[in-house]
Amino acid sequence: MIYEAAIDESFPVAEPPTQVARLRSGDPAAVAEAVGQYQQRLYRYFVRLVRDQASADDLFQQTWLNVVRQLHRYDAARSFDTWLFAIAHNAAMDLLRRRPAESLEDHEFALSAPGQDAFSAVLAGERAAILAGAMAELPALYREALTLRFEEGMKLEEIAEVTGTPLSTVKSRVRRGLEAMKQRLCKEDIL
Amino acid sequence: MSDHESVRALLALSAAGLLDPDEERLVREHVCHCVSCASELEAYGSLSLELSNMPAPQAPVYLVSRTVAMVAAEADRRQGAVLAGGAAVFACVFVLLVGQMLRTMVSEDAALVWLVWASISSVLGAACALVLASRRRLERSIV
Repeated sequence: MIYEAAIDESFPVAEPPTQVARLRSGDPAAVAEAVGQYQQRLYRYFVRLVRDQASADDLFQQTWLNVVRQLHRYDAARSFDTWLFAIAHNAAMDLLRRRPAESLEDHEFALSAPGQDAFSAVLAGERAAILAGAMAELPALYREALTLRFEEGMKLEEIAEVTGTPLSTVKSRVRRGLEAMKQRLCKEDIL
Repeated sequence: MSDHESVRALLALSAAGLLDPDEERLVREHVCHCVSCASELEAYGSLSLELSNMPAPQAPVYLVSRTVAMVAAEADRRQGAVLAGGAAVFACVFVLLVGQMLRTMVSEDAALVWLVWASISSVLGAACALVLASRRRLERSIV
């Protein structure tokens, strides 16, 4: 696929079992190593999902606390990445459900029309900012599906495991998310 | 739904790499002779590429150190709870064994006095330990 070549391969995709064993033993160096290793990926996931830095900070810390508390339940046959992101997903969903104005999955959502700022941003060559802005307007579950697929490079089955949803639902969220973003970017004439 | 419409519904997922091989083949064959779907697929491809390359928000520098400290405190608390639980079980067994020894070697009254004394001192000791633990936790949270 076209985008696959662009997925950053430098990110870790599988956790060596020795590190999990060290985490289980409560080795502080192993904890620091794991937190540092997943820092950017996990933080990016939270920022895309909750759209504010303070909440992303809280969720990041809460996720690692939950990891330490639930490590005894981790099955080493499963991918550590998927298990970690499933814990992160649960923490984020708890927070988003408490936000009254947050739409998790609005089937009738519509992205707002582009404004003057967006046009200036295009002129300045800030396509990425517009893209991030368009993504931020999607319902949370669509944002999540897109970030897990395109930024984390997860497979369909992995996204389904992280989000605890059927494969067909993941496909539907990715498709609807892409369609909405394409529509928005076409309106702005940048796609 | 016509072939064209059914393939059109698959274009976004094709660009996302989420189609099974049969669906993917269907899309590839269709776009060879359908200009509008080919153009649509190209647009989705560009969008997918841009989504993969979006600049990542940078985590604040303090986040790792703060998280590691929080996780270490949690591990410390859990270890403390395990040690305290073990010590409590050991103390109960010890008190009961000494009580049984006193009962058989001295008298039932002596065993009773021992059990009452041991219970009072255990309750006082546990209360002191709880106060100390909560003060330590408070000090750690201020730091």
